[in-house]
Amino acid sequence: MALDYRKCAEEIAANIGGGENVVSAAHCATRLRLVIADNGKVNKDALDNVEGVQGMFESNGQLQLIIGTGTVNKVFDEFIAVTGVQAGTKDDVKAAAAAKQPLWKQMLKTVGDVFVPILPAIVASGLMMGLVEALAKIPGLGFGGSDWFAFLDTVANTAFAYLPVIVAVSAARVFGGNIFLGAVIGLLMIHSAFLNGWNVANTDAINSFFGVTDGVIPRWHLLGNIISIQRSGYQGHVIPVIIAVFIMCKVEKWLHQHVPEMIDLFVTPLTTVFVTALVTLWIVGPIFSTLETWVLAGAKVLVRNPIGAGAMGALYPVTVVMGLHHMYNVIEAGMLAESGLNTWMPIASAANFAQFGACLAVGLKVKNAKTKAVAIPSSLSAALGITEPAIFGVNMRFMKPFVAGMVGGAVGALVAALFGFGATAYGVTGIPGYLTVSNPLQYTIVLAIAGGLAFALTTMFWHEDVPEAPAAVKEAPAAEPAAAPAPAPVVAEADTNVPTEVALTASKTVESKVLQPVAGKMIPASEIPDPVFAGEAMGPSIGIQPEGEFVYAPFDGKVAMLFPTKHAVGLMSDTGVEILIHVGVDTVSMDGEGFEAFVEQDQTVKAGDKLIHFDRAKIAAANHPDTVIVVVTNSFDLTDVKKAV
Amino acid sequence: MIEVQLIVKDPKGIHARPAGKIVAALQGYESFVTVWKGEQSYDVKKLLSFMGSELKFGDTVVVRVEGKDEAECAETVKKAFEENL
Repeated sequence: MALDYRKCAEEIAANIGGGENVVSAAHCATRLRLVIADNGKVNKDALDNVEGVQGMFESNGQLQLIIGTGTVNKVFDEFIAVTGVQAGTKDDVKAAAAAKQPLWKQMLKTVGDVFVPILPAIVASGLMMGLVEALAKIPGLGFGGSDWFAFLDTVANTAFAYLPVIVAVSAARVFGGNIFLGAVIGLLMIHSAFLNGWNVANTDAINSFFGVTDGVIPRWHLLGNIISIQRSGYQGHVIPVIIAVFIMCKVEKWLHQHVPEMIDLFVTPLTTVFVTALVTLWIVGPIFSTLETWVLAGAKVLVRNPIGAGAMGALYPVTVVMGLHHMYNVIEAGMLAESGLNTWMPIASAANFAQFGACLAVGLKVKNAKTKAVAIPSSLSAALGITEPAIFGVNMRFMKPFVAGMVGGAVGALVAALFGFGATAYGVTGIPGYLTVSNPLQYTIVLAIAGGLAFALTTMFWHEDVPEAPAAVKEAPAAEPAAAPAPAPVVAEADTNVPTEVALTASKTVESKVLQPVAGKMIPASEIPDPVFAGEAMGPSIGIQPEGEFVYAPFDGKVAMLFPTKHAVGLMSDTGVEILIHVGVDTVSMDGEGFEAFVEQDQTVKAGDKLIHFDRAKIAAANHPDTVIVVVTNSFDLTDVKKAV
Repeated sequence: MIEVQLIVKDPKGIHARPAGKIVAALQGYESFVTVWKGEQSYDVKKLLSFMGSELKFGDTVVVRVEGKDEAECAETVKKAFEENL
C-alpha cells in the first residue's frame, strides 16, 4: 500500500500549527527537517501517529521527522505545496550529491534545478503563445488585428517578457538566498529604464527609446570609462540572471555571517542588492553583450552557405541556452528587406523542431511519471516553436537528447539551405511556420528530417537514469500491529544450515547482495521491536526473527567493527556496502554474557563464515527481544538499496 | 575547526542505539566530525567507525568538528551527546 503523500503532508502541517508556524523546511535523504517558530503549537504525539512518519526528534532547533528514503522527497514536495512554505536550500543533500560530479554536470544540474519549478509558468505561456501567434498568421482571418489577439498575446507572453524575474526567484531558492532579494535583482535586469533586451540590435528602437540618432545604446559612466554600464535590459536572458543571483546569494550569505546581528537586517539586504547590481551590470552584462555581437556577426556569415547553415542549425539551441537567440530577428528583418525571403527561418525551425523530436522521445520513453508529465507538454510547446521548456526542462537536463537535437537541427538546416526556400515573415517556427513558408512541401521534409533524426537518436542513445529511490521497499501493512516480541522458544541446538536467502541488495559500483546473516524469518524494519531501529534512523534496515544461533557473514568482505560485548558486528563488503548486524534489542546490557565471536576486527571473511554465536535462552532470560537487525549504514554512498521485506 | 570536550554519561558506554541517533542527527551537516581517544580518531558520522571507538562510561573525549557549518554542527554534537550518551 503506497503512502498517500498528500495526506501525510497535510497531517504533518496540521500538527505543527500550519505553514505559518514553519520558518523553513528542507529534507535530507530520509528526514523532513523543519524549523518551527512556536514549538508550543507542535502536537508531538499526534505527529508520531501520522501515517508515514516513522519517528521524530529535535536537534539543534530543527524538528526532524523520519520519513524514509525515496518517500521523504515526495512528502516534502506535497508539504511545500500544502503549506506554501519557502523551501529550504537542501545544501546538505545537494553537496553530497554534487561532490561526485564534474563541474559541467553540476552546472547543468543547477540550471535544471532552477528551471524545473518554473516549468508550469513557461509551458503554459509557451503553448498559448504558439497557438495565438499561429492564429494571427492565418491569412484572411484578421485575428492578428483583433482585440482578442492583443489580449491573449499579452497574457501568453507575460512569463517570457518577464522571464528574468521568475528565473531569479527560482535561482535564489536554489542557491539559498532570500527569494525577494532575488526578485529585486530579476526586476532590475528588465527595469523599464533600460532598453528592452530584444531591441539591443535594433537601431530604430534604440534611437526612439533614448532620443538619440546614432543608434548607439548610451551608458552610465559611474567612474569615467572604468566603470560604465550599458543601459540595456536582459529580457529573454537566462544564464546572466542565474549568474547574477548566484553572486547575490554568495554576497548575502557572506554578509549574514560577518555582519553583527543587530544591524544585519538593514546592512545585509542593502549591501547585497548594491554589490550584485553593480557587478552584474558592469561585468556580467558586458560579457554577454560582447558574446551577442559575436554571435550575430558569426550567424550572418554562417548562413551564406549550406554548410554554415548546417552548423548554425546545430549551434542554434546553444544560443537559446545562452539567451543569445533573441536578436536573430534582426537578421530575419534584414533578409526580408533585401530579398523578400527569410531563409533564416527554416534553419531556426529545423533546430527547434529537432528539440521537439528529442523531447518527445524522452516523453515517450521515460518511465518516471514526473519527467513524463513535463516532457510531453514541453514537446508540444516546442513543436509550436517555443523551445525553452523542452530545452531547459528536459533535453539539457539529460544532455544526450539535447545533443541529438543539435544533430537533427544541423541536418535539417543543411537540407533547408540546399532547398533554398524561405519564409515571408518572421516570428514563428515549427508547425505555425507553415503559414509563412514559401514551399510547404520542402518545409515538411525539413521538419521531418530534423525532428525524426533527433527523435531516433534520442530513442537509441538516451537511457533513463536508475532511480535513486529504493524501488522495492515495501510499506508495512498498516493494519498489522508491530509484532510484539513473542517469547522465543528455547532452542539450544546448533544450526547447521547457513541461510542463502538475499536480505538486501545495494549498489556502489556494482550491484551487491547482502545475504540473510541468521536463519529465521525476515520481517520489515517497521516490525522491529525498537523505535530507533524501526525508524531506520541509521539506514535502511530489516529484522530477522532468529531460528538459529549463529551469525554468518552475508558477503565477502572485512570485519569493520566488532563490538566489545560481541552483540554487534560491522562489516564492509568488497564491493563497498557497509552493514551493522545487531543481535537482539538492548542486549548491550548483557555485557557479552551469552555471546561469542569467531572473528576479530579487520579480519577478512567469506560469505557464510561464522561470525558470532548467541545464546537465545540467555537473551530470553534477560528479557530482551532477540530480533536480529541488519542495517545498511552507508546508504548515502549507495544507490538502489532494496530490501527483501 | 571547533573542539568540544564531552563526558560519556551512559553507563553502558557507546552502543548501537545512542551511536545511531548521534550519527543520524549529524547526517545533514557538511562538517567532518571525529571523536578522539588519545591518538586514535573515529568518524562520528559513520556508524561503524563511531561504534568502533568503544567509548566507555566516564570517558572524557574530544570531538573535533571541521567544515563550513561547524558552529551549528558542534552545537548539534553537544546536544546529541548529552541526550543520547
